[in-house]
Amino acid sequence: MRVPTWVLPFLIILCAGIGIGGARLLVMPSVVKNYASPPAGASLATTILVIDGLKCVDTAERAAGQLEGVPGVVSFTAFASRNRAEIVFDSNICTVNDIINAIEGPVYNASTGEFLFGVYRIVEADGVQYAAK
Amino acid sequence: MKRIRVLFQLGIVIAAAVTGIRFSLGHSLTSVEKYCPFGGLETAYALFTRQRFTCAAGELNLALFLSLILLTLLARKAFCGWVCPVGALSEWTGKMGKRWLRYPSFDGLWKIPEKTRRVFQVVLRTIVIAAVLAATWTTGELVFRGYDPYYILFSVHGHDVRMWSYIILGALLGIGVIMPMAWCRFLCPLGTALWPVSKIGFLRLRRSENACTGCGACDEACPQSLTIATVPEVRSGECTLCLECTDACPSPGALELFTNGKKP
Repeated sequence: MRVPTWVLPFLIILCAGIGIGGARLLVMPSVVKNYASPPAGASLATTILVIDGLKCVDTAERAAGQLEGVPGVVSFTAFASRNRAEIVFDSNICTVNDIINAIEGPVYNASTGEFLFGVYRIVEADGVQYAAK
Repeated sequence: MKRIRVLFQLGIVIAAAVTGIRFSLGHSLTSVEKYCPFGGLETAYALFTRQRFTCAAGELNLALFLSLILLTLLARKAFCGWVCPVGALSEWTGKMGKRWLRYPSFDGLWKIPEKTRRVFQVVLRTIVIAAVLAATWTTGELVFRGYDPYYILFSVHGHDVRMWSYIILGALLGIGVIMPMAWCRFLCPLGTALWPVSKIGFLRLRRSENACTGCGACDEACPQSLTIATVPEVRSGECTLCLECTDACPSPGALELFTNGKKP
């Protein structure tokens, strides 16, 4: 069957739309880290952070390491391709600001023994531009 | 249709450049590599074996790769001729070379016999795609990034881009002037991955023996240097449906787009 040539740009736009739209349906975390189990009676809350510097599996693992030892943090789930992390915490013990401070804090580089500053920067916290807070 | 295709190519090149510049200036968190469909293939192995993405590859890479397979099933390698910014730059440098150095077709300065060219294509491309996928799948890192012309061009000195990356890019563009589309025809791993799908693609160009005058303008215009003037149908998996041949054809109706199937 003969096909008009305008079908080509139409198919390209259609497939691009399918690809970009389909990416929203494919949600898979880059890193999931569970810390200490919450105590009984804990008031669990979730914060969603958009983090500049969280861009791949390695940087997501390193960001998860930043929350190691922060009291009250229950779990860290990173979606590196979206620069996004979901953190579950006990709001009786810590606050979103404690979490942000821990993530933005200096990062220890085990191979050189040095601390690196400014590795992570919070861009958005729970849908609000962080700088504007 | 030629103008629409050039607009598509220009639009994508400008969008990629703007994305790269915005990311490098810190105005956006979206790097150009997030839009590379080859990243979807690179991360596929890690996704199936370890249920995690490879390095910076993510959902968008995978979804774009899957939609690209769909596009290739429908419209063959239309992605290469209409969308890929490296393909666009390869074509433009080839056209520059064709004009400046005055060679007649996209074969470049030296016309390589078709059989030899095919052997080169298969050997070089197999080596490149095997090396890239093996290295990526075993290390879990996007090791090809520093050699990837798309990333070198549009990441604005992104991660892993070194001085030798620019030397490689310069060499590829330089070779592209004397041997047009050298990257696309002999090295591109995405083109290699798409080739078997493109081979069975739904749309293809057919030549009407009654209308064709046998002038050979289509052969000279084809950026992929495919033989069109002497075949009833362009079956090569390399056809990008760029429609340069139909635009160059002086005889209306001699070359037209058809669905894959029995000839009427």
